[in-house]
Amino acid sequence: MLVHVPGPWSPLLGRLALSEIPYKNLILAPLFVLIVLVGLALVGWITKRGLWGYLWREWFTTVDHKKLGIMYIFLGLVMLFRGFIDGLMIRTQQMLAVGPGDNGIKAMGAIHGYLTPFHFGQIYSAHGLIMILLAATPLLVGLMNIIVPLQIGARDMAFPYLNALGFWITAAGAALIMISLFVGDFSHNGWFGYAPIFEMSYSPGVGVDYWIWTLELIALGTTLGSINFLATVVKMRAPGMTWGRLPVFTWSAVSANIIALTSFPCLQVALALVGADRYLGTHFFTAGFGGNLMLYTNLFWLWGHPEVYFVILPAFGMLGEIIPTFSEKPLFGYVAMVLATFAIAGVSWIVWLHHFFTMGMGPYVSTEFSVATMLVGIPTGVKVFNWAFTMYRGRISYTAAMHWALGALFLLLIGGLTGMMLSIPAINYMVHNSVFVVAHFHMMLLCIVYAVFGAVIYWWPKVFGFRLNEAWGKIMFWLFSAGTALVFIPMFMLGFMGETRRLDWPFDPHWAGLFDVQEFGIAIYVLSVVSFVVLLFVSIRDRAKERVGADAWGTSRSLEWLTDSPVPFYNFAMVPEINARDEVAWRREHGFLDIRPDHYKAIHMPNNTPVALYIGATLFLLGFALTWRIWWLSGIALLATVALMIWRSAKGDPGYVISAEEIARLDREARQKMPVDGGDTVPVGGFAGGQIMAYSREVSDQDRSHRGPKSW
Amino acid sequence: MSHGHVNPIDHPEVQMASRRGYMTGFILASVLMALATFLVSSHALPPFALLLAIMACAGFAVIAQVYFLLHIDISEHNIWNTVALVAFIPLFVITIGLTWWMFSQLYLRTMPMIPGMPGMH
Repeated sequence: MLVHVPGPWSPLLGRLALSEIPYKNLILAPLFVLIVLVGLALVGWITKRGLWGYLWREWFTTVDHKKLGIMYIFLGLVMLFRGFIDGLMIRTQQMLAVGPGDNGIKAMGAIHGYLTPFHFGQIYSAHGLIMILLAATPLLVGLMNIIVPLQIGARDMAFPYLNALGFWITAAGAALIMISLFVGDFSHNGWFGYAPIFEMSYSPGVGVDYWIWTLELIALGTTLGSINFLATVVKMRAPGMTWGRLPVFTWSAVSANIIALTSFPCLQVALALVGADRYLGTHFFTAGFGGNLMLYTNLFWLWGHPEVYFVILPAFGMLGEIIPTFSEKPLFGYVAMVLATFAIAGVSWIVWLHHFFTMGMGPYVSTEFSVATMLVGIPTGVKVFNWAFTMYRGRISYTAAMHWALGALFLLLIGGLTGMMLSIPAINYMVHNSVFVVAHFHMMLLCIVYAVFGAVIYWWPKVFGFRLNEAWGKIMFWLFSAGTALVFIPMFMLGFMGETRRLDWPFDPHWAGLFDVQEFGIAIYVLSVVSFVVLLFVSIRDRAKERVGADAWGTSRSLEWLTDSPVPFYNFAMVPEINARDEVAWRREHGFLDIRPDHYKAIHMPNNTPVALYIGATLFLLGFALTWRIWWLSGIALLATVALMIWRSAKGDPGYVISAEEIARLDREARQKMPVDGGDTVPVGGFAGGQIMAYSREVSDQDRSHRGPKSW
Repeated sequence: MSHGHVNPIDHPEVQMASRRGYMTGFILASVLMALATFLVSSHALPPFALLLAIMACAGFAVIAQVYFLLHIDISEHNIWNTVALVAFIPLFVITIGLTWWMFSQLYLRTMPMIPGMPGMH
């Protein structure tokens, strides 16, 4: 061991010991029993139904971008629930603990409320980390995974295996943070970490180590994914899909992934240096010995702010798809929208310092970053006006997805205006570290959550072939919105009243009423979670009634609505030829929507592989072993990871070919299963320009791969 | 996926790679890192000179890695590498430059003078 760790250490188990399992904790022990029981029931049910083979073949080993996207979203929703429970616990603690005196629940060992400060610290740290990196990020990456290849007319991502690898590494990160609930502790010093509190001398436990390796794994998974997205959009577009015709969601995915690709390495380096401090005994971020603790904050937010825009830009892209569809108008100001997206992405690199205005770098630096931060308001304003002008005199249908999109606009307005306030250093000094800031960024992140729920409802029929229940979607929206208002309006007020963030004991009795309101709000959030489950249940029960054709909403615009619902595993029976910016709207307008290919070509598809899952497992082991300093296991896990990667690279994947006849049969069957869109309208078509090309002439994959810079 | 029938070895970016290039990059980067570690651990220079020396080492290591390992240059064969370079330089200047500026202002206010550093008073 290079750094002396306090407490026992053995070569076999490292710092791991039975005493690290909190079986005496009155919350964690019953929760553990519950999770084991539910897990056993689930395993028993899968075994009884004989589903293991199906799960292994169709899901665990898949490289299909749609299935990986669904798994990303599933992971994101599970972690959103976990983060929500953390939020519920934070709210309950503050409601119980508020006021003077000794009001704690003695059985829990708490002086105030029901949680000890150490436990409370772990909860808010896990809440922040999970919500940003394991809920918002997988939800958005999952949606991009499903939709981006469909919107550009590709058969899959550019690197299907890399896609699976990115997912399983992210899942390994999620598993690591989940296991920290029951084995050892999690970090207690905030989701972004404070130097030098995370140093060994101040945080001797394993919590910070869990935090380091969880973040490292997620960062690795997301970086791999961003490479894949960029390569896909650059190289895999269907013929005719010029840059000027790219749907806005794909544009937002491009900008977001440029940010991810260039910023996540900063996080990895920052955390690797924290790791070096904790494991090797260096002094990068210590308070003495030449260390610079402010450098950590700088490096972290150098990633942190671009990351904020990495999560908001795809959400903006989703609004840019939902709003035109339900306004029956093309998006207002497409070019301005794309430019605004890239302006936000560009500015994301020069504003990170507004996260620590109070550090004391003086007026000149603060002014620069203050002005840069205010600049963000311009492209964001352009976007908001574009959405508003899209709706202006449109034929708006208030579907559930549109409810969520409009809700996102309201939250963006509140979050954006409070953000403008915070960008002024003088105001920032006043409210720094108060719950006003917390309420502000929750508005922004909830804007993302609203857009994600809208997008899930909007694209659900494309992925599964049936629409979600509209009524329950709206009930969930109103419950969720009521919860949002009741939790965060009091939080803004408390911020002005001087409540600092992360208080395990809010001492001022004047705050009590507002905490009660917040607790009431979170109870309504609980109802909205229940209504989400009901929404899924009701929709799946009534799926036959809500079965839709390719164009699920009847007014959709971009290319993903051209292919069948649910999308077949090969995406498009024939790669479509793109004629216009809103291809499906253009085809509907000219009566070409129902044109099916008259001939088919063989399709080359990648094989499934379990290697990505194995690498996820070995990387999870590596993170776990490093956390507990089990050196032999770390070595084996690292070697196994490298060996698997080299073995897979050397083996390659020849893929398999589906013959043209097989595609013709599959396409015919898919068409028969779908109801006809539009029902009674006869597709009378005509186009003044003469002949159109609905499907590309040469799409045999052999031809595609040899394609030069020539036009099609 | 649509590239399955093409031998990956034939790709231009793979053809450009050479064992010699990788070895040169690896050795150069390792030597520069070892040099920086040696300078710091032996306190071979006064503090501010040390700072400049390891910064120079880091700069050369970046160039070695970017050129020899990532093959990022301005050749016409690999236009996307050039694009990556063009995107990288402003980001590098912004992040390192603004950090530098911020810390120089911060140090004026919060830190004791580093021996040998000009402009500190």
